[in-house]
Amino acid sequence: MKFISDVKLLLKITQEYVNAQFTLAFSAIFSALFLLYSFNFEEGVWRPYVVALFAIYAVTTVYVWLVSQLIKKDLANVREITKRTRLLGYPLILTLFLGNVFASGFGFMLATKNKTAEYTFAVYAFQTQVFIIMISGVNIFKPYVVDTFLLAMGAFIALAIVYLVMAILIARKVTLSDAPKWMLIPGILLLIPVLTGNFFSFLLGITIIRKARNADPSAIEKWQKMWNKILRNTMAVFGLFFITFMFSLSVVSNWTFDYDFAVQNNYSALLQMPTLEYPLGTDNFGRDLFSRIVFGAQISLIVGFSATVIPALIGGALGAISGYYGKNTDNIIMRLLDVLYAIPGILLAIAIIAAFGANTVNLIIALSVGAIPTYARTMRANVLQISNYEFVESARALGASDLSIIFKHIVPNALAPMIVKATLTIGGAVISTSSLSFLGLGIEPHIPEWGNILKVGSTYLESHSYLAIFPGLCIMLLVLSCNFFGDGLRDALDPKAN
Amino acid sequence: MKKKYFTLASTAIVAAVALTGCVETKSDVKETDKKVDETAGAKPVLELLGMAANEQDLNIVRDQLVKNGFDVKLNIQPDYGSFKAQEDAGNYDISHSGWTTVTGNPDYAVRGLFKTGGDYSRISDAKIDELIDEASTLTGDAAKEKYKEFEQTLVFDNAYIVPLYISQKFQGIYAKEVNPDTVLLPKSRAQVWETMSFNDTAKNKSETLVLHQTMPSLTSLDPVRGNDGSINTLNTNMNVRLVNLTDTDEVVSEGSLSYNHAMSENNEEFYFVLRDDINFAKVENKKAVDTGDLVSAEDVVFSLNRAKDQNAVPDHRTYSIHENIETVEIVSDITSLEAVKTADGGTVLDALSKDLPAAVAEVVANEADVDNAAGKYQVVKITTPAAFPQVLNYLAHQSGGIVSEAAVTAVNTFDVASYDPNKDVAYGDQATITEGATYANHLAASGPYILVQKNDYEATFVKNPAYLVGTKNEPKVNNISVRFIPDNDSALSALRNGEIHVLQTVPETKVDVVEGDSNLKLKTFDSNGVAYLIFNPKGREVSDSVDLRKAVLYSINQDEIISYYQGKKKPAVSTVSPLVDTGLKVEADSAKVKEHLNAYNASK
Repeated sequence: MKFISDVKLLLKITQEYVNAQFTLAFSAIFSALFLLYSFNFEEGVWRPYVVALFAIYAVTTVYVWLVSQLIKKDLANVREITKRTRLLGYPLILTLFLGNVFASGFGFMLATKNKTAEYTFAVYAFQTQVFIIMISGVNIFKPYVVDTFLLAMGAFIALAIVYLVMAILIARKVTLSDAPKWMLIPGILLLIPVLTGNFFSFLLGITIIRKARNADPSAIEKWQKMWNKILRNTMAVFGLFFITFMFSLSVVSNWTFDYDFAVQNNYSALLQMPTLEYPLGTDNFGRDLFSRIVFGAQISLIVGFSATVIPALIGGALGAISGYYGKNTDNIIMRLLDVLYAIPGILLAIAIIAAFGANTVNLIIALSVGAIPTYARTMRANVLQISNYEFVESARALGASDLSIIFKHIVPNALAPMIVKATLTIGGAVISTSSLSFLGLGIEPHIPEWGNILKVGSTYLESHSYLAIFPGLCIMLLVLSCNFFGDGLRDALDPKAN
Repeated sequence: MKKKYFTLASTAIVAAVALTGCVETKSDVKETDKKVDETAGAKPVLELLGMAANEQDLNIVRDQLVKNGFDVKLNIQPDYGSFKAQEDAGNYDISHSGWTTVTGNPDYAVRGLFKTGGDYSRISDAKIDELIDEASTLTGDAAKEKYKEFEQTLVFDNAYIVPLYISQKFQGIYAKEVNPDTVLLPKSRAQVWETMSFNDTAKNKSETLVLHQTMPSLTSLDPVRGNDGSINTLNTNMNVRLVNLTDTDEVVSEGSLSYNHAMSENNEEFYFVLRDDINFAKVENKKAVDTGDLVSAEDVVFSLNRAKDQNAVPDHRTYSIHENIETVEIVSDITSLEAVKTADGGTVLDALSKDLPAAVAEVVANEADVDNAAGKYQVVKITTPAAFPQVLNYLAHQSGGIVSEAAVTAVNTFDVASYDPNKDVAYGDQATITEGATYANHLAASGPYILVQKNDYEATFVKNPAYLVGTKNEPKVNNISVRFIPDNDSALSALRNGEIHVLQTVPETKVDVVEGDSNLKLKTFDSNGVAYLIFNPKGREVSDSVDLRKAVLYSINQDEIISYYQGKKKPAVSTVSPLVDTGLKVEADSAKVKEHLNAYNASK
């Protein structure tokens, strides 16, 4: 290992220290927010629970600050973080149970020296699972829970334990370049929880399988490198964490949440303030806002993802073809797409919905059509560039068919910008879905969907602001997360950065 | 070590089992709740049609129907036009309707809606026709009994409609600018513009008073060619009528074209002595000018004859309201007034002579001879085929508005039978007052204000310079603008920042906001508005099955709707409910729903 004499530079490249600063900032912000909220200015009284939360967050902040000072000292003295300092990471993990995912993430990072991508995946799979357990667990304060609740919760707890055990095993056994052969089995098993929407578990499974098989070391290194780059970007990690968490929650909500609370009116509980039974309060029809937001994520995410994937596939294919063949093909396809491009996307969506009626499928189609040209343009530009490379020439010389050249050789090399663009537009699609529902053009008003929920909230902004704040926050966080993750992905995939 | 793990695991399991015992699952709850057992057969699917403005009602109805074992498909249309198109195409099982009895009499609340062939009727039932006709001739308790029988037939026996609620009126006034005492809130009549005044009366001349209306598309400004929310207020303020309705629905001459009116002893003849201080106004260069043309008995006869004649204009919307008028004539002989007695024993002439500017010396037939100061009056006589005192209410309705014979005949030169809306221009067409190429304002207003022009944003009105000048009914404010804001919540925001000055319908859920705003004043009063559900009369299961309709009727729980509106609605039985309290009440009953659903399933 190179000897780095400058402590400042050392601090800069030590991930734990960067992470500590980040955690410090977030914990401080949250402490301040809790402090602000802990005093009820209208009635002039303190909110005891919020004060307690503030106290814990404040203590965490101070603790993290102390740890960061220790790291600094360690680095100055022995040029690496000492075991004693690393031990201080463990208590931080517990803050996860108070929702401080930043501090617990930092705790996990600090606790081990051996940081592989698998470790991060396992840790975040665990954190996601714990968050889901906690969010779903709030349902026990309801008059009743769905029949599958206990079974599902049991399974979730078991899963969480599995992830934790895996994290420990990985920290001990897996190195940057390989993993023991027997890890193949847990790796395959870890693919199964993707059914709960836990994307981290899926990533973990794939990475472990690849490493345990050790078939193609260069590919592993490439994969590892890319993820290390993404994982170094803390905001991107939290973006991915929030997306995965929302996605997973919406997938498992059918087993732990009762849909009736979200759609059936309850005239005896209209416009209730947040309580344990109704954690986010109830809306003007007495429906539980908490359940509505959780179920609302299903439609928002389904439409958001579909309205990104469909135009990416169609636009990508059209762009690839027109970029590869050029001349008339290119002219015809691109000019037609230009016509489509000239129509504002949201107007086109409104027109389609108005003509064919509002339902989920039409919504997806309406939002997809308008996005096709931009994907086609991105893909075409990449293909134009790549089709001049020598490996394409050689494939042609070997007699490969046009289709196989396009889809086997060119497209895989042109995918990176498409992926980045897609992640960045998911957020836009979620907003479009919500906007259409907000305008009354989306899904039927009683069906929980973030735009619908926000629409109800908007009319009660003054008297019952929580009705608008929570769905608004969810939309904002999801879109932000997509953007942060997209940014991280772009940095990681950018060939110039290599 | 192993033992330790074992103890830990077993403790965890015991704790988990103990916890699970505490949690009640959905099926536990449902098992104890015996009410929810399934009816035999498949769930009936109902298509519920409504406008986005009534989204709340639709959601409650949907919810209640679903809870009672129906499947509901919602069809929510953004505006009245698309809603009407869906309704006309028959794309519904149940449609959400509303009715406001703007004349304040019970006959109007039922005749057009439920009588076979009525303007808005979707029902054809001989018994109901008979009851409506019988009730119209009665007054007092006898009428009440008849209307009770009517409600029993309409709602309980046949379930033709499903009542939802009676509304209340909540009016918001921007009291910082406008004097709230001058803004009236009548129960039935449309907004009264001529009384409104700014706090600072000096502003009445210069400032524009801004009012609000939800619908920007106006059916027609010809009073007989429209009868809906888009023109009711506008036409009422543009055309004076023979009589006027007070805030509490009494028929009076105050604020109308007549000084006095009288009814003959047998309730079949009605007399009106006309004023000579109202002239028609017209618009020239965006300003109102006095045409010098007196609003005379000739115009009254012309207006009411065309009001009752279905063939007088294309798309006549109001003839059925006036079908009880037999003749309208100008009285030319003062002795005929002395010959007829009123109910209190005096003569009609006595009744008409109260508080006139000069005693009646002569009744003249010709407009040119009128001179009230010299005792020369015009008197109009209206007869009905049978005793029908409620005709006075109809004369106070906007469709009884007096239009200028000269102005209308000058525009309506087409043949009514071959009228083509794309080619022919009719009096009061929206296009003629919409700014742009088609603008050709030919209106002649007999009322306090005249419409200058409109666009999608607002309609501007100016004061009629020759309307009751010098009396207390002379319009106070010179310029009025009616702002079109379709969404009531947005309209409320506009009111709160003074963009509009009066909001006639504050949403029930926002009443607190208006009360809490020091710039605003809230006025509240009873309303004749009733919301109800009506079934598709043909081609659907609900059209033929009384059982299915009754199952819907008993599914609707009005108490829940009222609690949603925070107690600011009242229970209803039919459209008559706000006017006549028949003592009937619709109670939700899930047992009856099940019974009727089973009967319906058995009949299939």
